[in-house]
Amino acid sequence: MICRSQNLFVPSGVAKTTILLLSVVFFFALAGQVAAQKKFSKTYPAGQNVRLQLMNRTGTVTVEGWDRTDINISASLESPAANIVPQNLSGTIVINLVRDNQGRAEVGTVNFTVRVPYYAMVDIETRIGNLNVRNVRSGLVRAKISSEGDITLTNIGSSAVSAENVIGDIFFDGEVQEGGSYRFSSMRGNINLRIPFNSSFRLVATAPSTRNISLGSFSGGTMNYLGDGRRVVGRFGEGSAALSVTNQQGSISFIRR
Amino acid sequence: MNCNDCKQKLSFFLDNELAEVQASGIRAHLALCGDCAKVCEDLSSILFACTSETPADIVPPNSQALWCRISNTIESEMEPVQIRQTVGRRGRFWRLSLPQLASAVLGIAIISSLLTVIAIRNYTQPAADDFTTRSAATQTTFEKVLSKVGLVETPQQARARRIKEQQSAILYWDNRVQTRRVQWDTHTREAFDRNLQVINESLDQYSMILQQDPDDDLSVEMLDSVMADKMNLLRDFSDL
Repeated sequence: MICRSQNLFVPSGVAKTTILLLSVVFFFALAGQVAAQKKFSKTYPAGQNVRLQLMNRTGTVTVEGWDRTDINISASLESPAANIVPQNLSGTIVINLVRDNQGRAEVGTVNFTVRVPYYAMVDIETRIGNLNVRNVRSGLVRAKISSEGDITLTNIGSSAVSAENVIGDIFFDGEVQEGGSYRFSSMRGNINLRIPFNSSFRLVATAPSTRNISLGSFSGGTMNYLGDGRRVVGRFGEGSAALSVTNQQGSISFIRR
Repeated sequence: MNCNDCKQKLSFFLDNELAEVQASGIRAHLALCGDCAKVCEDLSSILFACTSETPADIVPPNSQALWCRISNTIESEMEPVQIRQTVGRRGRFWRLSLPQLASAVLGIAIISSLLTVIAIRNYTQPAADDFTTRSAATQTTFEKVLSKVGLVETPQQARARRIKEQQSAILYWDNRVQTRRVQWDTHTREAFDRNLQVINESLDQYSMILQQDPDDDLSVEMLDSVMADKMNLLRDFSDL
C-alpha cells in the first residue's frame, strides 16, 4: 500500500520532463506578454480652466470625469511602444502621439484612460480607434476619429459638443443646454442621440442615402421634411440650442432620456 | 517822281548806282518831300554805321543768351494764348445741357447704389454661403441680375470654382499620403483604404445626382461636405 501510494505521488521521469518543459514555456510566454505591453501613468494638478487635448494614433481613448481637481493619465502601450510626451501648457494638458512619433515606421496601439475634473474641457482625437467620454459637464466636448471607430458620449452636460467619424457609430447621452451647439457627423454608421424631453433646439438632421431619420418623441415640434425626406429641419421647444446631425450613409435616431 | 518811286530807288541812290538823270530827279524830290528826305537820312545813317563800325561792335557780347531771352519772351507771350484755348475747350466740354446733367447725376446715383449693395452683401454674407453650396433655384432676383451682368458668379460657376479648389487640395494631400503609406503597417493601410472607399462612394453618388439635377441644393451641399471629409482624411493620414 505504502509503495503504491509512493508511486502515486512521485512523478516518473517522463512526467518530470513534461512538467519542466511546461513551466519553461509558461514562464517565457508570460515574460513575452509583459515585454509586449508597457504602462504609462502620470498625474497633473488641474486649475479651473483646465483642458485636455489628446491626439492618439491607434487605440481606444476613454475620458472620465471625476470629482477631483487633478488629471490622471494612464495608458497601456503595445509593442513597438509609442513615445508619449505630455505637456502642461498654461492649464492645457497636451498629448500628441502623432507629433511625438512622426517618422516612425511602426507604432503599437495605445489605449488611454484619462480621468479629468468633471468641469474640464475635453478635446480628443484619434486616427483609428474608439473614443469614450463619460461624466463631463464642461464648456466643450469634442471627439473626432479620422477614420473608423465608435464614439460614445455618456452623461454629458456640455454647451458645445462635437463628434465626428467616417465609419462607426455615434452615441450621445446627455443634456442639450440652452444656447448650446451640438454637431454630430458620420459617413457610415448609426447616430443615436438620447436627450431629455424638455430640451429646446433647432434641428438640421440629414441622412441623404438612407432617409432614415427617426425623431421619436421629438417629432411633435415644428419639424419639416425636405428634399424627399433626406433632411429634417425644425424647432423643438423654444429652439435655443443648435443641433446639427449628418449621416451620409447611415441612420439618425432620437431617443427620449 | 512820286514818293514810291523815290523810296524804291533810294538805296541805289545812296550807293551811287543810278544814272545821273535819275539821281538828279531823286535829289529834286528829296528837296521838296520832307518824308522821303527823312527816310533817306535814316537809311544813310544806317549805311554809315555799317561801314564805319566793326562786326564786334554790332554783335552783342553773348548772342546765345540774347537768343534765349528772345525765345523766352516769345514763349511767354504765346502760353497765355494756349491756356486760353484749352480753357475754352474745357469750358465748352463742361457746358452741359440740363438733360445731360440730370442723366449724369442719375447714372452716378445708380452706380454708387449698386456698388454699395454689392459691398454690403459681400461684407454680411457668410463665406459658406458664397453660392458654392447653392443652386440657381435659391438665387434672388437681384442676384440673378447681378449674375447676368457679370458682377457676381453664378452658382454653377462658384460651385465649379470651389470643386476645382478642393480637388487641387485633395491632389496635394493624396500625393503626400502616397509617399507616406509605404511606411504604414497593414492595419493602418487597410483602415485607410476602407474609409477612403466609403467617402468615394458618397462622392460618386452626389456627382451622379448633380449630373441629373444640377439644382439639387442638398446634393450640392453634401458634395461639398464629403469633399471636405476626404481632404481631412488624407490630411490626417499624411501625418502618420
